[in-house]
Amino acid sequence: MLCLTAIGFNDENHDPKLAEFLRIALRHDPVNIGAISHGNMYSSSKEEVVDNAHGIVHAVFVKQDQVIDTLKDLEKAGLGMSVVVSGIFEKVDECLDKAGLKHHTANFSLGIWGKTEKLPGNDILEIHTMCGHAMISANLIKSMADEVKTGRKTADDAAKVLAPQCACGIFNPDRAAKLLTAMAKK
Amino acid sequence: MKIDPELCIVCEVCLPYCPMEAISVKDDMAVIDDDECVDCNVCLKSGCCPVDAFVFEEAPWPRSVRNVFSDPRKEHKGTKVAGRGTEEMKTNDVTGRFQRGWVGMGCEFGRPGIGTYFRDVDKVAQVLAKHGVEFEPKNPVTILMDDPKTGKINKDVLNEKVLSAIIECLYPIEKLEEIMNALKEVSKEIDTVFSCEVINRADPDGSYPLRKKLDAMGIPYYINGKQNVGLGRPVADV
Repeated sequence: MLCLTAIGFNDENHDPKLAEFLRIALRHDPVNIGAISHGNMYSSSKEEVVDNAHGIVHAVFVKQDQVIDTLKDLEKAGLGMSVVVSGIFEKVDECLDKAGLKHHTANFSLGIWGKTEKLPGNDILEIHTMCGHAMISANLIKSMADEVKTGRKTADDAAKVLAPQCACGIFNPDRAAKLLTAMAKK
Repeated sequence: MKIDPELCIVCEVCLPYCPMEAISVKDDMAVIDDDECVDCNVCLKSGCCPVDAFVFEEAPWPRSVRNVFSDPRKEHKGTKVAGRGTEEMKTNDVTGRFQRGWVGMGCEFGRPGIGTYFRDVDKVAQVLAKHGVEFEPKNPVTILMDDPKTGKINKDVLNEKVLSAIIECLYPIEKLEEIMNALKEVSKEIDTVFSCEVINRADPDGSYPLRKKLDAMGIPYYINGKQNVGLGRPVADV
């Protein structure tokens, strides 16, 4: 889930509202929060992320109920900041329906075009693309999968090496740990 | 980005952190390939170096574009947004940028994980311009164009490599098929990848006309994506 100000429309004194978004999200146990200007809860602390909220902030959830409850709280709070939910369209729509909200605008991905033979394998891409800014290198993911395979790291610990690299905190370490475990079994 | 040879202990810990594989060890020294390095600062900010040997200095034009397009923590002067693009659909409930009947499109070059030279972005931008798209004026790539009517990008930066750069544009939904066909053709001529995304405002009944059109044209799209949920204020007339 992303929350941000619209520059030139509602960007005066918006940082406290973005901080409030993060406080609301934290009530529902996200697996990550972050503020692009500062970092995420793995590169910093939750409190520091909240204190440094600016521009655009993120919270990552693993259960639909968490999303529904966060959306309900956000509507009650009336922050007036734009909120975007990223996930499987059908599931997100179920959450919106239960929270009494309606989708407004969508962004559909038509996939990857061009010289796709240059891309790493799908198992790497599944983790790499969690960070939309491409901060988590394919080689670091491979290296962490090897660490898990050889027993030098648990999958959770390996995911926590990857998580801080994603500046805005949209990386899902829970899912990454599952994917690293699957890679290590190959 | 540079590595201070006086400090580096050649432990090789940093090598896997670089998204562009620009760090290597040569003659018992860790070195950075200047052409491959996009100044994203991942190596520096990761804190992986035990002796703090990475040194970043702001580069002069045109190399300066590498850092602003590759480090999402860096705010673009033109957009005031950190990262490579704009707010696009994320604030459409407030800005009303994407009206019904229109398609917003983003082509994010270099992503995932390959990087891009601006010469490839230029090729695609010029093709899109010929098909009459409206480039987003606040987008950092548009700002680099000599003329948004031609899509031609400033020649100074064509051989600069960045982690990613996004073309953002708008066109009437009736032009979708024409634009998709043009994009498909030009995508064969580039030496990198781009992620393509299309944006649409929902109709009052909650349906997305663009989705119907993509289905009719047989163009596949991912089952997941981003949706603005309409909580922004003041509400745009869109």
